[in-house]
Amino acid sequence: MRIFMIAVISLLLGCSPSPKQIVIPAIHMAIAQVPLNLDPRYATDAASERVNRLLYQRLVEFDVRYQVVPSLADWQMVTPLHYRFTLKKTAVFHDGTSLSAHDVKATYDSLLALRDAPHRAEFAHIGRIEVHDNATVSFFLSKEDPHFVEKLIIGILPHTQLAQGHDFSHAPIGSGPVKFVCWQSALTLARIADGRYIVLTEVKDPTVRVLKLVRGEVDLLQGDLPPELVKYLQTKPEITVNTNQGTNFSYLGINMQDPILSDINVRKAIAHAIDRQAIIQQVMVDSTRLAGAILPPEHYAGNARLAPYAYRPQYAKQLLQQAGVQLPLKLVYKTSTDAQRVRFATILQAQMAPAGIDLDIRSLDWGTFFEDVKQGHFQLYGLTWVGIQTPEIYLKAFGSQYMPPQGFNRGRFQDATLDALLVNESWPEVTQRIHHQLPYIPLWYEGQFAAYRQTIKHYLPASDGNWDYLATVE
Amino acid sequence: MHLLKRILSVIPVVFGVLLLTFLLIHLVPGDPVEVMLGESASLSDSAALREELGLNQPLIVQFGQYLNKLAHGDLGHSIHTKTPISELIQARYPATVKLAFVALCLGLLIGVPMGIYAALHAGHWQDFVITIISVRFSAMPAFWLGPLLMLLFAVWLGWLPVSGMESHASVVLPALTLGFGLSAILTRMTRTSLLEVLNDDFIRTARAKGLSERTVILRHALRAALLPIITIVGLQMGSLLAGTVITETIFSWDGIGRLLVESIEKRDYPVTQACVLIVALSYVLINLVTDILYQVADPRMRHA
Repeated sequence: MRIFMIAVISLLLGCSPSPKQIVIPAIHMAIAQVPLNLDPRYATDAASERVNRLLYQRLVEFDVRYQVVPSLADWQMVTPLHYRFTLKKTAVFHDGTSLSAHDVKATYDSLLALRDAPHRAEFAHIGRIEVHDNATVSFFLSKEDPHFVEKLIIGILPHTQLAQGHDFSHAPIGSGPVKFVCWQSALTLARIADGRYIVLTEVKDPTVRVLKLVRGEVDLLQGDLPPELVKYLQTKPEITVNTNQGTNFSYLGINMQDPILSDINVRKAIAHAIDRQAIIQQVMVDSTRLAGAILPPEHYAGNARLAPYAYRPQYAKQLLQQAGVQLPLKLVYKTSTDAQRVRFATILQAQMAPAGIDLDIRSLDWGTFFEDVKQGHFQLYGLTWVGIQTPEIYLKAFGSQYMPPQGFNRGRFQDATLDALLVNESWPEVTQRIHHQLPYIPLWYEGQFAAYRQTIKHYLPASDGNWDYLATVE
Repeated sequence: MHLLKRILSVIPVVFGVLLLTFLLIHLVPGDPVEVMLGESASLSDSAALREELGLNQPLIVQFGQYLNKLAHGDLGHSIHTKTPISELIQARYPATVKLAFVALCLGLLIGVPMGIYAALHAGHWQDFVITIISVRFSAMPAFWLGPLLMLLFAVWLGWLPVSGMESHASVVLPALTLGFGLSAILTRMTRTSLLEVLNDDFIRTARAKGLSERTVILRHALRAALLPIITIVGLQMGSLLAGTVITETIFSWDGIGRLLVESIEKRDYPVTQACVLIVALSYVLINLVTDILYQVADPRMRHA
């Protein structure tokens, strides 16, 4: 009878878990956005990156200060154009084959061969890859790149499957702590250690995600909820809400080619016209903190000494008058249609009004909004950098030669002093210069949170919002 | 003959939709190559991929290639997931059809009897109450009614799942959300249409012949009042099959409407194009079926 019931459940689920695996209750997690592509060579969206961290292992990782550290392999810089990696632990792919240097070579070779892979450009200066033995592989570069090792975070794929043209996008085979089971209406994974199932279900609407947690249809939510819903969950005795400091950087982007906004006094006026502390206290999740630079203060390229721009609307008005701007200053602020983003926009509008800034909010669908940002069709916009780990972001976001489509310098900021500092990688000076010049107005690092039922013992959300804890949580 | 003409008239409509969608998608800001390669791609890589995908060709050539592929049943691949679009449509469209069918049944089951009842009690308190209820339901947006139904039936009563597609019960709440709105329209339409017919001579004749009131209403009056109801049902079914984006999103219902909106947001052009094509075909098909039903309901239409 029990076997019959298991078979029926399996049929209903559409996947085929073994009876042993069903005994341990699955962890059901509702997510706002389902992963788009589980092939690490193609994955760019946050959900795919988070799942891929569970499915695959990478050559290197980052420690708490975001310094690159060995993961699968240790490395040695033989010359600035030659890096040798030695696999330091035995790893086995989920199909049972052992991970070797051949897999490392095959993964990066295949990435370089793919014409439509978004990560390919980052590795364009790999000249060749040589396997010395099963545990040792060398990368030879055509151009020096001091950040080369930090980029080697692509999940390693089995070379035998690569040779057969396996579809990793929909049937990933990695060597991570979690393996792929099936992907139908929900994405089902299984932990290698105890066989416990992890079921990720896409639920777009935040209110519905909360109702599903309250009803017990899911066990866990992480991030992507408006603060009032988090506060609602905190009132529920059967739900535990844990918060943690975040590292995802929210900011106001400024078009530096705009005749008004190119004046530093106007940018400073905008910075002084925002009461970030009040926003954090009133409408943000706990553990949200003021931001200075893109990278957080604990990052080796962060800067804890940046003095925040205080909310001084009268001073902001004076700055605008000194800049010769006719008040009220009309500025167009572009944002997405996300409810929380629109709410921030209306708060900013209200806060800036006493400073003599009349903010015109344009809420656009994501595709149009992001295209406008990339094309430079904006005066002000609001966005968040998610999961940034290397200081190369300063170069790509503010370097004069990194304007779209060649980089992320969407505000078209040009500053010879900063360019020189970026070449020298003197991060305190770089961050100080950016903070002074204000091509971005820093807002906050949004706090991370997880809400879960008693079926889960203790879940601590990661600072960058990753889901690594799913691999070990009880 | 009329039917054949009607079917043939579908061809230019579908061609027009294809052309319009193709042109509109190419007018929307955004570059599929940039979507695929990201912002770090080199200009040479972008140019090479653009050439590989044929995006450097004149628009008319691209449209010709698109039609050629379509004629061979090739809808292309998703830019993001690399999945064949035909697979995506096959996975999503049945869900939309299921939801639309159940919602329509609920709408008819609730709306038509209520409309008949209101018409038979026109001017009385029963009519007044039904009018208030139907106006209420037709004014309720899905993003409000949906969560209310979830709270009541899923969270408080625990009878139904909040959202998802895991069981057959999952269809009830989204179908109710859609069905209530539809039933409100049908109630009003049935009432108005029936009231017009109830004073006609043939109804008086039927009553004079001694037929029961039930037979008079259901066999004579309702059949005569059916044409406007069929029109409304046809139009509503068309929009239901086009995917009800908000309801599908709220209830995590993997239908075609949600796929369409997601593809627009992510600038997944081939998917958008395919979805619009399916939606257009749905509308055309439903209109065709509505026309045929007209002729069944009213024999005079066959000779019109």
